[in-house]
Amino acid sequence: MSLALSGTALTGAVRREELMLRVGKTVAITFGCLGVVLMYGPVAWLALMSISERPLTGKPGPFTLSWYEKLFADLRWLDPLLTSLGIAAIVSILCMITATAVGRTLPHIGRTGAWLLLLFLLVLFIPGVMLGVDFVMFYRLFLGIRTGLWSLILAHFVWAFPFALLGVIVVAGRFDTRLLESAADLGAGAWRRFRDIEMPLLFPGILSAGFFGFLLSLNELPRSIYLRGGATTLPLFQWAEAASHTTMVPLIYGLSTLITIASLALTVIALRQLFKGDAA
Amino acid sequence: MNRGNSNGRYFLPRPPSGDWAVFTFSIVWCLGVLLPLAGVVLFSFIRASAEGLDFRLTLEAYREIFLTGRWEVTARTIRIAATVTAVLLLISFPFALWLAKGLRSTAWKIVIWTLLTAPFFLSDTARVVIWRPVLGLMGPINSGLMELGLIERPLTWLLFSEPAVHFGLLGPFLPNMVWPIFLSLILIDDDLIEASKDIGATPWQTLRHVILPLAMPGILAGIIFSFVPMLGDDVVAKVIGGQQVLMLGGAMLDLITALNYSVAAAMSALILAIIAVLQLTLVLVLRRVGKGASLVEGLRK
Repeated sequence: MSLALSGTALTGAVRREELMLRVGKTVAITFGCLGVVLMYGPVAWLALMSISERPLTGKPGPFTLSWYEKLFADLRWLDPLLTSLGIAAIVSILCMITATAVGRTLPHIGRTGAWLLLLFLLVLFIPGVMLGVDFVMFYRLFLGIRTGLWSLILAHFVWAFPFALLGVIVVAGRFDTRLLESAADLGAGAWRRFRDIEMPLLFPGILSAGFFGFLLSLNELPRSIYLRGGATTLPLFQWAEAASHTTMVPLIYGLSTLITIASLALTVIALRQLFKGDAA
Repeated sequence: MNRGNSNGRYFLPRPPSGDWAVFTFSIVWCLGVLLPLAGVVLFSFIRASAEGLDFRLTLEAYREIFLTGRWEVTARTIRIAATVTAVLLLISFPFALWLAKGLRSTAWKIVIWTLLTAPFFLSDTARVVIWRPVLGLMGPINSGLMELGLIERPLTWLLFSEPAVHFGLLGPFLPNMVWPIFLSLILIDDDLIEASKDIGATPWQTLRHVILPLAMPGILAGIIFSFVPMLGDDVVAKVIGGQQVLMLGGAMLDLITALNYSVAAAMSALILAIIAVLQLTLVLVLRRVGKGASLVEGLRK
């Protein structure tokens, strides 16, 4: 009798636990969906508006490509885009070189490496606006150097380097240094070991460092506002136009949609490179 | 590779000039990046204006912040960022938990990870600008509500208001919160959760006494990684806050445009101090949990 009773009590408890788990899971998935909508809803709606006839009403349809036609007729965005692409390319190359030079050694020097990594990641804790203001004061006011393209490149590099470094470290941490020993035993010189063994194996990390540098620079805004000098990058152009009430705004929708699609594609490629080995 | 070569069996050949590169770069990084960031503290105690620098120490800038109401901007920014961070934590923890321990399908995992990573590389303006027409007086939300007969005239507080800024900040900063929590959760051994269940803990007890304490470093990191950059946000406040909701980003720009460098430096130094206190808390908690020094180790796994 008592056994049967405790049995029912037990199944009751189990059932209650299952219910809790199920409720928890539902809540989690609902929040997840909410999150994805919050992140991508605006982008999707932006794309929808860029092909709608009256985008500034916020309501879709009737659909037309006329805004894109106007976008390619009014090429004021071309110069900022070229500036941004140039800066992004330079930052990307800088990131690949420095992140490789630092990242290949960092995981193999123990505690020193951990502390240095912390030193490099420190800038991630500084809001972009502060970094921009601080750099302007140090370089322009204190050292008296005019801001311009170089300061944009510097700021973008400082922003992108931690991400690039992490990209290389993810791969370098898995790198088996015994391979270098064997190569040395077989008589390979230092550069040979680097070029023929280490670099090919680190390549996914190096490549993702380049992608990260390129994308982070291409879309960087808060630091650029202060360090632009006379230059205008694409995000600066988008930002100024988006906050205004000019006729450019619908064109900005189209432009932003195109840039977003390109950035998404590059991100997916970069991630696939980085995690090619352990997809499973 | 062990630098001390403790096993002493092999001479371990080091890749060319690896240590030298790390050393040089670290020095350059400290001088070119960390020094300017620290320098702002000095600038906040001197008179820095368009005419140049006057190196006599003064508290003028701080007095101006507290006397001219600039403190309100700082306080408002902190209040908004703290509220949004709290809401993000509420949304992100269950999501991250499901992602780390509930979801089994590899394909879905890759899709969601990609969705959570891509926003770091997208333009903020592109993601925020659309809220203007959507939340506007004639926007789909207002006209939808009017058609349903729920409201008679458009809601004016949907745009250029504090609620709008709160709402607008949620999307852009969600990944900053989810990722650190997710990473700390996925490092928790499944066996621990199983063991807790085996000794009769309810799911709630397991969550409260096993998962939450172990996820604490990730939760704190998530709070810092969303709160800190939010303090400096200058897109959401400008595009959907308009003139009504001035936040730090906008205030800074005004100060720099007016060449009022000292006050900008003082505000920057105040924010840095707040961030430093937050970070210190994180480090202390991490040390208590005992995982502080293994950042690199964690990444190698």
